[in-house]
Amino acid sequence: MERPLSPFMFPIWYRFQITSALSILHRLTGIALAIGSILLVWWLITVATGGELFATTHAFLASPIGLVLLFGWSVAFFYHLCNGVRHLAWDAGYGLEIRGASRSGYAVLAATVLLTAMTWLCVFLA
Amino acid sequence: MTKTSSLSDKTALRDEVVPRRVRQFGSARDGLREWRLQRLTAIALIPLSVYFAVSILSLATSDRKTAADWLSLPVPALLVILVVLAGITHALIGVRSVILDYVHTRARLLAAELLFRAVAVILAGAGVLAVLKLFLGH
Repeated sequence: MERPLSPFMFPIWYRFQITSALSILHRLTGIALAIGSILLVWWLITVATGGELFATTHAFLASPIGLVLLFGWSVAFFYHLCNGVRHLAWDAGYGLEIRGASRSGYAVLAATVLLTAMTWLCVFLA
Repeated sequence: MTKTSSLSDKTALRDEVVPRRVRQFGSARDGLREWRLQRLTAIALIPLSVYFAVSILSLATSDRKTAADWLSLPVPALLVILVVLAGITHALIGVRSVILDYVHTRARLLAAELLFRAVAVILAGAGVLAVLKLFLGH
């Protein structure tokens, strides 16, 4: 007897729904953050060892490619954080109706944009 | 005993009446512990990751010495160690759930599990060691 497989609800094969699209995005940003954790540990190592290693890492992160990566990770972080809170609310039994779930989805997107914008304003104005 | 559906086969959970007995195989029997740990680390990471993000933001434009001095303080050192441990535990559970969905061969699944577990343990160990070096160095 085969166990059921979960459907691959990508919007190309499946009608677009904000809930499924955000669910896929939650996974993608989670994977991005898992990769980002390598950089986080690397940064801690360079702070601990210092010298050339820290200077090279710092220069890379301040370069255009580094900034694009950091920007991407900041979006992923804020999205995963806000949508994670939404998931925890679901686990507690709140907001599971279709209307509520799609509304909180749009709220998560808005919060992500707002928090990311605030963060980078802090970086460039500081 | 006859297998007829009786009232005792159903149980009331919240407002719905759901079957008391599972159909077919039922659940995979494990996974609840991991599910709970994923939620527990998620809750812990809400304040921890925000603390870390705000700290990094204020360190962004400073030099190495400022960052090293910050990590030699007990509270930041402890909180960053907790961020690393909770974050990597959370990431490993998440990545494992993704590979379980997309890797269908037993051998590949085992290889991927071993690889990701090894990476997680090495990252967590290295992160904790780096913070401890800075903390104990003062």
